[in-house]
Amino acid sequence: MLEEMNILTNPNLATITGITDLATNIKLVQVQLDDPGVRKNFKYSPGQFAEVSVFGVGESPFGLASSSDRGDTIEFAVNRVGTLTEALFRLDIGDQVGVRGPLGHGFPMEDFKGNNILILGGGIGGAPLRPIIQTIFDHRKDYGKVTILWAARSPDLLVFTNEYDEWRSQPDVALHLTVDKATEGWQHDEGLITALIEKSKPSPENTITVTCGPPIMIKFAMLTLEKMGFQPKQNWVTLEAKMKCGVGKCGRCNMGGVFVCTDGPVFCFEEVKQFLESFV
Amino acid sequence: MKVTTQNKINEWLAGFLQKSVVIAPVETEGKFVYRQIEEYSQIAWDFERTDMPPKTAVFPMTEPILYIEQGSKTILKNPPLPKNKIVFGVRPCDARSMLALDALFINKEPIDPQYAHHRESVTLIGLSCPQMWDSCFCTVVGGAPNSTDGLDILITKVGDHYAVQTFTEKGTELTDKLISEEKDLAIPKPVLTENLPTLQKSGEWMELFNNIFWEELSQSCISCRACSFVCPTCRCFDVRDELTAFRPGVKEFERLRAWDSCTAAGYRRIAGGHNPRDTQNKRLRNRFYCKFAYYPDDFGPLGCVGCGRCIDACPAGINILEVITRVEQMTEREKVNG
Repeated sequence: MLEEMNILTNPNLATITGITDLATNIKLVQVQLDDPGVRKNFKYSPGQFAEVSVFGVGESPFGLASSSDRGDTIEFAVNRVGTLTEALFRLDIGDQVGVRGPLGHGFPMEDFKGNNILILGGGIGGAPLRPIIQTIFDHRKDYGKVTILWAARSPDLLVFTNEYDEWRSQPDVALHLTVDKATEGWQHDEGLITALIEKSKPSPENTITVTCGPPIMIKFAMLTLEKMGFQPKQNWVTLEAKMKCGVGKCGRCNMGGVFVCTDGPVFCFEEVKQFLESFV
Repeated sequence: MKVTTQNKINEWLAGFLQKSVVIAPVETEGKFVYRQIEEYSQIAWDFERTDMPPKTAVFPMTEPILYIEQGSKTILKNPPLPKNKIVFGVRPCDARSMLALDALFINKEPIDPQYAHHRESVTLIGLSCPQMWDSCFCTVVGGAPNSTDGLDILITKVGDHYAVQTFTEKGTELTDKLISEEKDLAIPKPVLTENLPTLQKSGEWMELFNNIFWEELSQSCISCRACSFVCPTCRCFDVRDELTAFRPGVKEFERLRAWDSCTAAGYRRIAGGHNPRDTQNKRLRNRFYCKFAYYPDDFGPLGCVGCGRCIDACPAGINILEVITRVEQMTEREKVNG
């Protein structure tokens, strides 16, 4: 029998209810927890993650790409890059996985209220930022102007493209897209997200920034924001690391004395600025 | 002073062996390791320091953390509770290492129930060191050859007798049958190694994080991980699923945790290839910083008990005591230069 309180080792069983293409080599996996009691109480905030098991293959951390306020379907984006994600790609609706979580600290949405929000998403890094966007839209009056700068290496790697119109339609929201390498018919910017940040000239006044993407993108985004007058304490990031236990025991995900899984994965940049080198 | 004799110890152990699991130092192929014994005669008494620590009694090299049965339904089970174990012949440094592990696995949320069960199930019977051995430096990190921290019982050889001290209820109850008499016996102070360095505080280590010393030190490291595997305080672990049984329609797996080491090249490599600690320098530096800066800052105790096993085990001659000495020298130099 399972010792229910053992968050270190015991996943909840969940069944896949949807598995759709999100971008090239990226799928959106939707699951529902099997146990009705667990399903009802599985609440998480934007930025938290779960360790997802494909039994027999292993367990990996995935940022939760959905908002638990909107329903009990849990969504996460999967990039096919390794053993476990390869196994996830082969699963279908009705297959069972394990979901251990929610883990980590999410974004302090309450503290963000009253601010303008600048959201910087690079590639699949957009996935954990999506619930921020959803939460803001569900409580639109609580937040100021929202600027979303969404980037990817190429147009086929942009995530949640089918939601962009809905995002644009929200009041006082700007969405700008850029790709490193455009393809024929691309109508938006071409270039790195840092160029797009400079082009959109965000004001640091009363603004919180939220960034997720490849480590190199986070590094240069932070430098660019600093150049534009943003203080480290205005900038929030969510970081990725190789994880196993997800709860700060196995030692793997440390940056100095800080564990990405339990002290993060969401950090105020001021807290982790000194570790810049160790996560790039 | 409560004392006992060799014969009485043997009888006492024989008594335990009838109803408990007893783990003690044995000699195997010239090495001293802790093993489960069947008879007290298997115990090796003439070791200085065992080659492997008794950490395996509470943190096994590999252990299942979850059993998975995949048939028409998926069924998950936790492993059964561990049996009670007597661990005999624990050196004071190794007992202190258990306290260091406790600080992470038990005293910091969330508690690791499996480790906690193991910890509860062991009784630690220590054997005092009459001196510090080659490579030992327990005094540098807050320990001593006769330290009593973390032990239930400590036995010290004094001439023909053994002095017996107990520190816990468990220990006192167990030594009931052991004591032969009360004797006016002075326990000699252990012989300490002299001229050892002073360990610098974590703040001083952090000042030296980008010093070229770490790059020079790591030139010879080959990421063999022996240091981590002989270390009584190292606790990094990997988690893997392994197939254990296969019949029509049903697959059984064990989710295992296993010792791992931050010095391994792929330790932090994520799928896709990104590796924040991609050089030997960064990895070796992390191990020392974990022991002397991160672990104490995060959990309290140092991540090192000065047993010196890593010094003996390293095929590349990297010496943790030399590292501590160099850090002291570099810190002093900084202070002088202002």
